[in-house]
Amino acid sequence: MVLRIEAKWEIPYVHSAGEHATKFFEALKEKKILGVKCPKCQRVLVPPRAFCERCYVDTDEWVEVKDEGVIETVTINYARFTGLPDPPYAVGIIKLDGADTGMLAYLGGVDLTDWKKAHEKLKVGTRVKAVWKDRPEGRITDILYFKPVEE
Amino acid sequence: MRRAAVIGVGQTKFRTRRDDKTHPELTREAVSRALEHAGITMDDVDAFVFGTMDPFDGINCPDRWSSTAAGFGKPFMKISTGGTTGLTTGIAAYQHVASGLFDVVVAVCTQRVGENVDAQPVLNTAVDPIYERHSGVGAISVAAIQATVHMQKYGTTEEQMAWVSVKDHENALKNPYAHIKKKIGVEDVLSSPVVSSPLKLYECCPRSDGSVAVIFASEEKAEQIRDDPAWILAESSISDSYFVGDRPDLAVWDSLSIAGRRLYRLAGIDDPKKDIDVAELYSPFTIQEILELEALGFAEKGEGAKLAEEGVTFVDGDMPTNPSGGVLCTNPIGATGLVRLGEASLQVMGEASNQVDGAEVALAHAWGGTLQFHALMLVSSHKKLRR
Amino acid sequence: MKVGIVGIGITHFGVHEEPFYNVAYTAARKALEDAEMERHEIDNVVLGGYDVSVGRTISNMYTAPAAGGYLKDEIRVSDDAAYALALAYMRIKSGIFDVAMVLGYGHCSETPIELVELLSLDPFFHRDLGISYQMSYAMQSYAYKMKYGVEDETAAEVVVRARKRASKYEYAHVREEVSVDDVLSSEMVIFPLRKLELPPWSDGCVALILAEETIARRINPEPIWVEGLGWNTENYYMGSRDLAELSSTRKAGEMAYRMAGCDAKSVEAVEIMDLTPYHHLMALEALGFAADGKGGELIESDFPTNSSGGALCTNAHGTTGLFLTANLALQIRDGCDRGISHAVSGYAAQNSIVTILGV
Repeated sequence: MVLRIEAKWEIPYVHSAGEHATKFFEALKEKKILGVKCPKCQRVLVPPRAFCERCYVDTDEWVEVKDEGVIETVTINYARFTGLPDPPYAVGIIKLDGADTGMLAYLGGVDLTDWKKAHEKLKVGTRVKAVWKDRPEGRITDILYFKPVEE
Repeated sequence: MRRAAVIGVGQTKFRTRRDDKTHPELTREAVSRALEHAGITMDDVDAFVFGTMDPFDGINCPDRWSSTAAGFGKPFMKISTGGTTGLTTGIAAYQHVASGLFDVVVAVCTQRVGENVDAQPVLNTAVDPIYERHSGVGAISVAAIQATVHMQKYGTTEEQMAWVSVKDHENALKNPYAHIKKKIGVEDVLSSPVVSSPLKLYECCPRSDGSVAVIFASEEKAEQIRDDPAWILAESSISDSYFVGDRPDLAVWDSLSIAGRRLYRLAGIDDPKKDIDVAELYSPFTIQEILELEALGFAEKGEGAKLAEEGVTFVDGDMPTNPSGGVLCTNPIGATGLVRLGEASLQVMGEASNQVDGAEVALAHAWGGTLQFHALMLVSSHKKLRR
Repeated sequence: MKVGIVGIGITHFGVHEEPFYNVAYTAARKALEDAEMERHEIDNVVLGGYDVSVGRTISNMYTAPAAGGYLKDEIRVSDDAAYALALAYMRIKSGIFDVAMVLGYGHCSETPIELVELLSLDPFFHRDLGISYQMSYAMQSYAYKMKYGVEDETAAEVVVRARKRASKYEYAHVREEVSVDDVLSSEMVIFPLRKLELPPWSDGCVALILAEETIARRINPEPIWVEGLGWNTENYYMGSRDLAELSSTRKAGEMAYRMAGCDAKSVEAVEIMDLTPYHHLMALEALGFAADGKGGELIESDFPTNSSGGALCTNAHGTTGLFLTANLALQIRDGCDRGISHAVSGYAAQNSIVTILGV
């Protein structure tokens, strides 16, 4: 037998969001989702960022986008991983109305027990709307999840 | 451009844990095998390039400890680029030689994912803590969201994806260094538990401990050292934007197509299907081999899923892919890309454990980030592409 | 074929409110503006910086696009960004690339770097002992001090001069001037190092644009040429080496001088990554500017070291070395003919890299 030593990394971090992202989180408190418009390619980027990676210019025109959009893709996680949310949980990319890029978010409001049935309800192209926390705190988790809109 | 070649490859056996050795001892195992394969000694080596993904091993910058087995007293450089690390380490080592600054350079990658109780939380820390980390997204979920779109857009089936896994598992049985060695059938894959829908357990890679070393030499040195070096024809890498939501269409890997086209242009390849004999692709998840085959021109868009099912990508097929058993059976994350290059080199040297008959040109690939990076290298038994 | 620096972008160093990737973008933009170039004229990005220090596992995911790397070739060294410059040089020298954006990032204000560095020690022999990064440099300082009888006042004088120079360098982090008395009366933190003899932890980014000779001349009639590069590594086990000397720096210097075809005599400016005042002296000796143990004599003279104030005044873990190289490049632009910059990484200066720039 060889010696095995247990170790754990606990490194505290205080991450600064910067001015752009801070504006986005402030708006979340009012249940609003903001994007930035690139002055060059005119794309509305959500989540907002300080520069357009493609055009390489500063972005400073703020645009409010809808808290509704379509599913671009989805997966449901059924495995348990240390420190990650309890399974099952669904994550997808949502293209919000008024945005040109997708945003990573939870999907919910659907029974996830059977993955095939759940995928039927969360098909690519399905319209979804944000379900908000009652009292938003200005964090990304203020949007609890996106759920399919009943047509 | 100064020509260079791979003159030696060394791997350790890849396992869930390698309790028998420390980090530098594992590095030494791979480096010693590569030196032995090349028939040279440590004194012949001018410089080392070391690759690893830092947090996986529970040691930050483990290269500092591991350099006692690779490079101490010599120029030593550390590369880390995410999942592409193994291959970008190879690319950097190649550039050390191509620049004319060095003649013989060892690229070595050691990764001990097994020291980590669970790899997915580490992968999750790659995700932005401001906007996205809470979502619990790791490598499996990003592959799964590709699968969802590919299935819906092109009608790719669970069975077709399962065939990729069956093929890789069959190949791994012949590879003495492979981690997972188990004969499985399509039914086994389909009945394994869903991990991240639609991907099932047998469609996902293991986490492996191990090390790999690949030695590069200048043209003159390579010819002195061995008769059958694997000549580097070209290399290419690419970065996309950061946010995964920015990808225009997740059903195609267009950034890989761009990198592939650049690689083919550099190597003078017109028709990859004809000009390339074997590919070692970074496909830790079944769907990714399908996307990669399409992006690299081995299949039309939406047709990649048929290749394994129809036997095309099996070792005796027209486009053998991952004859080593691939990443699906062995994944020492930051070392994996260099394993691809090592296996591709062995194929064109005619020494691979699961040899493709008459392989002259082999492709090595790796991807990294949240579908953000790709790296590619092309090796050949000839100095230039022969058609 | 030569490789030249044609664009220099340095951000303010200190504490940044913006995340490291936005600071990186600022540095890269400044370098492009300095070179009067556009992003599309760059064909690859070479990054340098650490993951755990900035709290992201693959930190180049953020800095590659920030450096202008969207759909371009990308690579990153996980070490001081001075290594990124060496790699960029090789990528161009080999003929594979023409124009590289070299970007170094350091962001120390968000996490205790001492803890991050402690985790670089193996979990068996060293980590449990709780030897901090600074302690390894202190042990080295003490070994050197004892071997050559270096006085406390000499070390203090190094700090005084560093602060004086930093006070005039707009990008430096700590810019308040101090006296020898201030240094000697400051609290003993890690024997033999006093509070004012320790470097700060800084945030900031540096971008340098490197180009192949003919292209470089098109961009700028007077590029700053990369004349020599050398790097080397020492034994990880501190007990197995002579801590009183910087042998990896010595070997790195020898390689760089050989490549540049020159020696210390022809060097007009020196930028040293002095994580302690003793390391300032040790590096000067290892690079051939003074005999062993005689580095202190240079301090009394007007020898032009660290016009930036050095690491003692600005230390952004991951790009401190490239910060010094950038300042060296500015000096060469201002009329200096040849200079040398130096960087170290790892416990007790395990790794060293040396860059020689000239006209």
